[in-house]
Amino acid sequence: MQFSHDRSGDTLVVNASGRVDGSNASDFLDTLQGLFEPGDQKIILDLSGLEYISSAGLRVLLMAAQNLDKQGKSFSICSLTESVGDVFRISGFDQIINVFPSVEAAK
Amino acid sequence: MQRTLRLPHPSEFKTPADALPLLEDLLEEMSQAQDWPVTLFMRANLILEELLLNTLTHGDTSGLTAIDVELECSDNRLTIRLTDDGAAFNPLTDAPVPDVTLPLAERPIGGLGVHLVQTISHDLEYRRADGRNHLKLVVLPES
Repeated sequence: MQFSHDRSGDTLVVNASGRVDGSNASDFLDTLQGLFEPGDQKIILDLSGLEYISSAGLRVLLMAAQNLDKQGKSFSICSLTESVGDVFRISGFDQIINVFPSVEAAK
Repeated sequence: MQRTLRLPHPSEFKTPADALPLLEDLLEEMSQAQDWPVTLFMRANLILEELLLNTLTHGDTSGLTAIDVELECSDNRLTIRLTDDGAAFNPLTDAPVPDVTLPLAERPIGGLGVHLVQTISHDLEYRRADGRNHLKLVVLPES
């Protein structure tokens, strides 16, 4: 996986691309958690470059969403590819995590 | 188009996830040769990852010596046959069913893998014969 991020005020946008499966899901979680800073109130995960996600990756997203929710922070995901959007619908994740068509829409 | 792959005993891999690139390579080859829709590739990859990691990591793997994967695809209809000699496991009846309607705070972490397989696959059949698990299912690009 490749990561980049952009912080503007209290909004953090993280771009994660590539593939997340059972072999790298724990690295994905560590990287995400390492990027979060106490001052971030709004976290947007841009998945426009994510080609594949399995249940191991969904677990990471669920843990991140639950942790941020407990802290009263806003967490959303945007720009899903066709294949990842398919998995979100099947798993019902599009019902429990805010999903937007673009970073701008998520802001 | 038909392809087969034999995955060896889990001890041959450093971690069970090391088996995943072998599957991806096989799916890539078939996908490119037959120009699969992206959702067919994704669904096939997901199903194989969930089922194989399940077999390689859950329950008693002491008797497991190999997993045979057979893929057959025509007209965007992919039939997957998996055979292994590990402990009996029927994904239709032996896995807990997660409640996917729970709100965020109450969603349990995990338990989604086999549910995704059940949701995505068609004509899922399981039988235990000759000391082996035989699983057959069909994957389509759309539900």
